[in-house]
Amino acid sequence: MSLAPIVRVENVCKSFRRGSEQIDVLMNLSLDVPEGEFLALMGPSGSGKTTLLNLIAGLDRPTSGVIRVGPETISDMSEARLARWRTRNVGFVFQFYNLLPVLTAYENVELPLLLLPMSKAMRKQQVTTALDLVGLSNRMNHRPGQLSGGQQQRVGIARAIVTDPTLIVADEPTGDLDTRSAHEILDLMVELKNSLNKTILMVTHDPKAASRAERILHLEKGQLVSETVPGAPALDSRITSEPTA
Amino acid sequence: MNSIDEVLLRFTSDWRNPVGIAALALVLFVAILYWEQTRFMLKSLRRNVLRSVLTGMATFILVLVITLVWSILAFLDRQTAAKSENLKAIITEKYQLPSQMPISYATSLAEGAPRNAGDYRVNPAKDSMLWAFYGGTLDPNKKTRENIIFFFAMEPSKIISYDNRTKKYSSMMDDIDQATDEEKRLLNDACREMEKYPYKVLVGPTRLAQMNKRVGERFKVTSLNYKEIDLEFEILGEIPGGRYELSAAMNYQYLQDAIESYNKGKSKDKQHAMTERTLALMWVRVPDMDAFERVAQQISSSPEYTTPAVKCDTASSGIASFLDAYKDLLFGMRWLLVPAILVTMSLVIANAISISVRERRVEMAVLKVLGFSPNQILSLVLGEALLIGCTSGLISGWLTYFLINDLVGGLALPIAFFGKFFISDAAPWWGLSIGAATALAGSVLPAWSARSVKVSEVFSKVA
Amino acid sequence: MKALLLILFKWLAILVGGGVLLVVAVILLISAGLMVLMLLQAVGLVRRVPLGYNVRNLMVRWRTTLLTGLAFTLVVALMTVMLAFVNGMYALTKGSAVAGNVMVLADGATDEVFSDLGYGDISTLENKEYIKRAEVRQDNKTEVRPLVSWELYQVVAQQLPNPQPGKRSSRFVQVRGIEDPVVAGMVHELPLHEGGQWFDRGAGIQAVPGGGNEQYVQGVLGEGLARELGRDVAKPSLAVGDTFELGPRKWVVVGIMKSAGKTFDSEVWAKREVVGAMLRKMTRSTAVIRVADGLDPAQVAREITSDFKSPAVQAQTETQYFESLNGTNQTFLIAIIFVTVFMGVGGVFGVMNTMFAAIAQRTRDIGVMRILGFARWQILVSFFLESLLLALIGGLVGCALGSLADGLSATSQMSGGQGGGKSVMLKLVVDARILMVGLVFSVLMGCVGGLLPALSAIRLKPLDAMH
Repeated sequence: MSLAPIVRVENVCKSFRRGSEQIDVLMNLSLDVPEGEFLALMGPSGSGKTTLLNLIAGLDRPTSGVIRVGPETISDMSEARLARWRTRNVGFVFQFYNLLPVLTAYENVELPLLLLPMSKAMRKQQVTTALDLVGLSNRMNHRPGQLSGGQQQRVGIARAIVTDPTLIVADEPTGDLDTRSAHEILDLMVELKNSLNKTILMVTHDPKAASRAERILHLEKGQLVSETVPGAPALDSRITSEPTA
Repeated sequence: MNSIDEVLLRFTSDWRNPVGIAALALVLFVAILYWEQTRFMLKSLRRNVLRSVLTGMATFILVLVITLVWSILAFLDRQTAAKSENLKAIITEKYQLPSQMPISYATSLAEGAPRNAGDYRVNPAKDSMLWAFYGGTLDPNKKTRENIIFFFAMEPSKIISYDNRTKKYSSMMDDIDQATDEEKRLLNDACREMEKYPYKVLVGPTRLAQMNKRVGERFKVTSLNYKEIDLEFEILGEIPGGRYELSAAMNYQYLQDAIESYNKGKSKDKQHAMTERTLALMWVRVPDMDAFERVAQQISSSPEYTTPAVKCDTASSGIASFLDAYKDLLFGMRWLLVPAILVTMSLVIANAISISVRERRVEMAVLKVLGFSPNQILSLVLGEALLIGCTSGLISGWLTYFLINDLVGGLALPIAFFGKFFISDAAPWWGLSIGAATALAGSVLPAWSARSVKVSEVFSKVA
Repeated sequence: MKALLLILFKWLAILVGGGVLLVVAVILLISAGLMVLMLLQAVGLVRRVPLGYNVRNLMVRWRTTLLTGLAFTLVVALMTVMLAFVNGMYALTKGSAVAGNVMVLADGATDEVFSDLGYGDISTLENKEYIKRAEVRQDNKTEVRPLVSWELYQVVAQQLPNPQPGKRSSRFVQVRGIEDPVVAGMVHELPLHEGGQWFDRGAGIQAVPGGGNEQYVQGVLGEGLARELGRDVAKPSLAVGDTFELGPRKWVVVGIMKSAGKTFDSEVWAKREVVGAMLRKMTRSTAVIRVADGLDPAQVAREITSDFKSPAVQAQTETQYFESLNGTNQTFLIAIIFVTVFMGVGGVFGVMNTMFAAIAQRTRDIGVMRILGFARWQILVSFFLESLLLALIGGLVGCALGSLADGLSATSQMSGGQGGGKSVMLKLVVDARILMVGLVFSVLMGCVGGLLPALSAIRLKPLDAMH
């Protein structure tokens, strides 16, 4: 793919302190994601995949290194600016959906739009579109408690896409779902990529889920160790920052 | 004393004050402007209805107590607030308490004792009022609080009179001007009746109820302070206006006549002991401090008042002298009770809000992920607290006003010669501001901790 | 419309009030039962509850514990201080009365200040045999006199130097004109401080060094008043030899009474005739007598009331008289109870919040405990105990804080509620009774606030709680 990368991670390190010892979660990691790609991140727990995801989504800042998303360098934004940036540019899908239990499906999806200067009518249009897309327009007045896990995750996805972000970030989106629901959710994500040209980053440890992505990156101990393309034989060689798709 | 609540009181002595209305308008404006956010806060509050209700109730109850205490303090503060214009002066015996002056002083004192040309002269028809006190019991064998009655013996024209020329009512009594026009008209009729039939009296509604008497009934009083001058009265009507709930007013002439008929044919030493001691005090209204100083000077330098000597004080400092005995009590109410309640309220709110923030750490993190900035999260939490605080404070203030003034009929507390206190008109505004202030004080720390929720930490725990 | 609303509110108030009372009564009943249970398990009759678990929880959630405990502390501390004030007033009325004294007022007078005994047959009171006679030493002579103190009680406005507008212009000083000061001191059991003496039985006035020809009134001051007047001249207290102005005359201090803890502490005593002349009151307001040994003062009081008819008098024991001055105290007490109960209710709501949240946070723990075999009632007792513990600790700290007020002095007004009255100086008294009341109130708040949440905890089914 010859498109310019929408996400560019350069020599990023991330470490935490726990008591007196320092834990290096990511070590000098570089990565490019071209626009419109559906990328899966895999790796054992503690490999740093969620941390990487959080960094790219602007939820956390790297200890060193640079992260660019689109034209912006998010690694040196202030927390308040990051928050504003996230509203427009990133949609986040959680493993446990994290819908607000007091709000209806409609209101949950509407929530991020409240941060944008939009009229009520415009909001309504966008929320209905998003809910239509995930196939839940008939459930929009239900509370999360009245929805099944799969339905809740669809609401979660609708909430992630309602601001029309370029980047969608999903952390184990199928981790809490039964096989059938998981399948439907993955279908939906592929659909988002294909018809809306969203860039999707998904962390998972389910090989089946990962196989739906266009490219799978494997992390171990804070470093990228290999890259596979579903359907193609695994490439065992150490990868560089240059994707070889 | 430039105490905080005194400043607040000055701003809010009346419900029609711009500060209170502006505050409410601001609150409503913000709530409507950010309606979506407000709705969101409301929904968050609804999640744990029990907690919200408990917190609201705590605020409600504590605001009620503060409103009661502040109403008393506010009333006393207003009584002792030094006025610079249209002030009342109070002329009493200089040394002895209770003051007992001869009635012969009355004529000259009513004019402010002018002796020379150029002296300040008070208009005795409109701007002065004499008071005597006549007290007694309805049942000489059983003196209880309920059957003892004290009258202001005075000229009925000073309670209220109507000026045909200016078409206005005038009164020397405090707060009578706050009565409705209809009440004034009735009172005016009653006062003219009192002038014609001096045995007819006006009684405050609460006192009437305590005596278990009705308008039109007659009753006999065995005097406590005018021995053997026992008088019979007919109840002509009730005195309007909250100030006189427990009071009663009679025509001074009735008392004077009774004493004169008692003394008739008696030698000087057999005359009634109170003969030369009926005049308790004289009220005089002056336009400004300068006039007051002049009247006070005229009175203290007059050779006419020697046995006994008299003095002239502003009403506020006269009342302040009486309140001195209560200074520690009032100090305690102002600086111990009220702050302790305010802190307790803040603690209850702080507790509730910090519990709910702790329970919703994940939710706060989700909001951050969705793009809510730290300050927006801070204001969401503050807003929730404010919503509870303002609403329950406002309702509590208003309800206290309504319940105490209209339902209970005033707060009975014998401080100095004030028997009853009423909740200030400004109570709803007090409730609003107290609720807002304590909600803010209580929620700042929890809101700050919500603001600084670390998204990555929250989710690394969940996942 | 308004009348309708009023009726509605009245009914609502009765309903709500009744409901609340009922709920509180039931809660207290259950609490009592639980406490018996706790007692039983303390002596090992029934199985134990996981108390350590609750204590640990209070410590772990120390912020919530602190916030809730502090609310208890404040309520209890405030209550202690307020009760100490009333207690001080009661102590004053109790301390002022001498057990063997009878006080004679004119019939119908509700207070000393309104009483006028005149000079009728009451003047023969001294001859009655029910009056104690004692050796009185004065002017180096000793004679036997009846212990009757004739007194004229007056309140005098003392002009303050340079009053501020709106501030008080005068101080009200209570003056007691006394005929026989030595006897009066004996009757009221008020000795003088070293260095002082009573005023002359004769003139009661004297010249002072530097005072020229002017005759000063000899005054004996209560300690409290001496301190109060001392403030005007920047002294901790007036002392023997100091002068002051009061009424139309100048006064000189000749003695200071050991009057702490009595209402006489805020009085100045002087020769009755001098006081009377000054205030146009050539009469006596009261007589206070000491009854002869072995006689019942109440009986003597009845005899005096029936013995004298011109003027009619009304005699009562001094104890009764001072008790009748407790009217104000009762009003204060009611106000304090009102305020405390309301604050307590506010506090209860706070505890409920805490305990409901504590239980919500620990549903999983409750499930585990139930699966491990703890019975419902053990869970109930354990959470109930947790709130009691919280209340107890908060209350203890509150009592300790409130105790700091012990001994503080304050002024107040005291009257039987029918006009008149005395300004008094009192000392706040925190005693064991008040501390008990404070603690019990605190525990009560803990009961009411803790029981409902604890009941909600036991309604959880073990497996549901695990989810």
